[in-house]
Amino acid sequence: MRRAVTIALVLAALGASGVGAYQLAPPLGQASAHWREIAWPFSRDGWPAGRAFRCEGGGCDGVELYVRAKRGFCNCDSGVADDDEVDRVADIDLITPRFTATAPGELVHLGEMRGRARRYDLAIDDSVSRAAIGIAVSRRCDLFVAAAQGRGDASAMQHAALAFLEAEEMETWVAAALDGH
Amino acid sequence: MFRCVLTAACLVLFASSTLVHAQKQTIGAPPEASNMKLVGSNDLQARSAYQPTIHHQGNRWIAYIGHHGGTDDVPAPVNPMTGQAEPNGTSIVDVTDPAHPKYLRHLPGQEGKYESGGAQMVRVCDGKSLPKGDPNAVYMLRTFGSEAHEIWNVADPASPVLITRLGGLKDTHKSWWECDTGIAYLVSGAPDWRTRRMTQIYDLSDPAHPQKIRDFGLPGQEPGSTGAVPTELHGPISTGPTGNRVYFGYGTNKGGILQIVDREKLLNGGKEPTPDNLRYPEISRMPMSAFNGAHTTFPMLDMPVAEFAEDKDGKTRDIVMIVDEAILNECGEARQMVWFADVTTETRPMMISSYTVPEASGQFCQRGGRFGSHSANESMAPVYYKKMAFIAFFNAGVRALDIRDPYHPKEVGYFIPAITQATDKRCIPVEGGERCKVAIQTNNVETDDRGYIYIVDRANTGLHVLELTGPARAVAGLPKN
Repeated sequence: MRRAVTIALVLAALGASGVGAYQLAPPLGQASAHWREIAWPFSRDGWPAGRAFRCEGGGCDGVELYVRAKRGFCNCDSGVADDDEVDRVADIDLITPRFTATAPGELVHLGEMRGRARRYDLAIDDSVSRAAIGIAVSRRCDLFVAAAQGRGDASAMQHAALAFLEAEEMETWVAAALDGH
Repeated sequence: MFRCVLTAACLVLFASSTLVHAQKQTIGAPPEASNMKLVGSNDLQARSAYQPTIHHQGNRWIAYIGHHGGTDDVPAPVNPMTGQAEPNGTSIVDVTDPAHPKYLRHLPGQEGKYESGGAQMVRVCDGKSLPKGDPNAVYMLRTFGSEAHEIWNVADPASPVLITRLGGLKDTHKSWWECDTGIAYLVSGAPDWRTRRMTQIYDLSDPAHPQKIRDFGLPGQEPGSTGAVPTELHGPISTGPTGNRVYFGYGTNKGGILQIVDREKLLNGGKEPTPDNLRYPEISRMPMSAFNGAHTTFPMLDMPVAEFAEDKDGKTRDIVMIVDEAILNECGEARQMVWFADVTTETRPMMISSYTVPEASGQFCQRGGRFGSHSANESMAPVYYKKMAFIAFFNAGVRALDIRDPYHPKEVGYFIPAITQATDKRCIPVEGGERCKVAIQTNNVETDDRGYIYIVDRANTGLHVLELTGPARAVAGLPKN
């Protein structure tokens, strides 16, 4: 019996690491830039921790992306209503509480989820300007949010982040996270 | 080996199915109760209910009950009194005879489903108590969906007359109205503020002519601010000019904040929503755990605590009861519960105790719908004030707490209504779809000066009027029944 449990645990662990390795692998045709999963860098708050990634190579080199589900946090009918809502929910404040939006946001979608994205300047005391993007999309009463920061162009950062989040393996994970799994 | 695993699996399956069976509510089953009993009920036309306010109106007792919007299945239930499909709004029920509540009128609200429609909140003041009100009028302040606040004259509760509407808002919620001064703290979403909900303070002493006093919120929520946005308001409760305090509760199920505000400075300080002007009236704020929000912040000042009677100092304490709101079905979040804060030293409020329904006492995480607290009675009538609190606990019904020693609150009674044909399902996502269960969702509770307890159901099961029985009556000093 104990051996069976051990085998099951080993298989589960191998399966999990296999999933991880698959997710870490750069997508075909984009070998110059890929997202590597890193540890969630923020302390515990009211929402369960999400997942964090760092872009290596390509146009988004050095950009960090933080994503998580916020279940039960959205107006069930109106969804992500405006830019203020992106300011409030997109986890930019985890990076620094001092941020300034640089422009009105824009409509975005991730799969069938609709929402908004907005660009920010971060006030981080390292004498190098830092840009960030916040993304919030909704599925009924639940939110999925993403925040990215880096030293590059915010527009390119947003493009790279959305492309990564639309990859099949990430869409599968997002759906599971919104289901509470 | 295989047989061993199979046997174990069967045992687990059997145990699970037995457990699930034991938890499931069934139509026709008796209510679950301890030291509380049902006096009367009304189905409220199977509308999802939010805030009840019970008003003594002449020689009658009238219950005004706010509703959420309709459901996906029934966006606008038919009002059998008119034969029309009407978007959920406000139910007006005569509860003079609590054994036989009489439904008087449904006043439709904003079209829209769930929290996007209806008319969730309601407060009532007599015209004769308001400084400039019509002494023959009774004024009902209600939200109209997310877009407006309205005041109706309900002197004839079966025929309300609209007096005033304050519109153009992006959200509304649980407001407070001082009936002796007319000052109203309206929970609104002003279009230019960076939060869904903040406070718009009005002088409604003459309800026909509202006078705006100011907007209020936490610094960072005001127009033009940048950076992190503090958690949104849920609702305030004022102690009026005598107590000179307003207790604001921010957050619903996360990152709660109790903010204690000097009422006089709030009303007479600088009106422009600058960070300095917003900070000026604040006496203190108590941040809560990221896990819990502040849905209701109910002040109970100058409470004598028997345990401290012989102490040289601190015999009486100023207490604020803070109630969180559970949001997710089937325990999909941290437990939302009830907290008691000692605010005697106002600048250093301290959490002193807590209360939750034991989950295992009813396997509530498996029953379906939400489990956790939502709201408390807000009546300050002497019958229960500072002695008992009633907490709406969703699928665990209403809970009666002995709070005479707020350092050690104790449950002395409960009532979980039976489900009916009207009780709506609650669903959670599962692999390949969703799984739904039907369970009571006691959303709000209020009491009247006579001691009756009114609970209403979010899952369309209606209104239940209750009374205490047995030892619970002694806690409140009520005669035996």
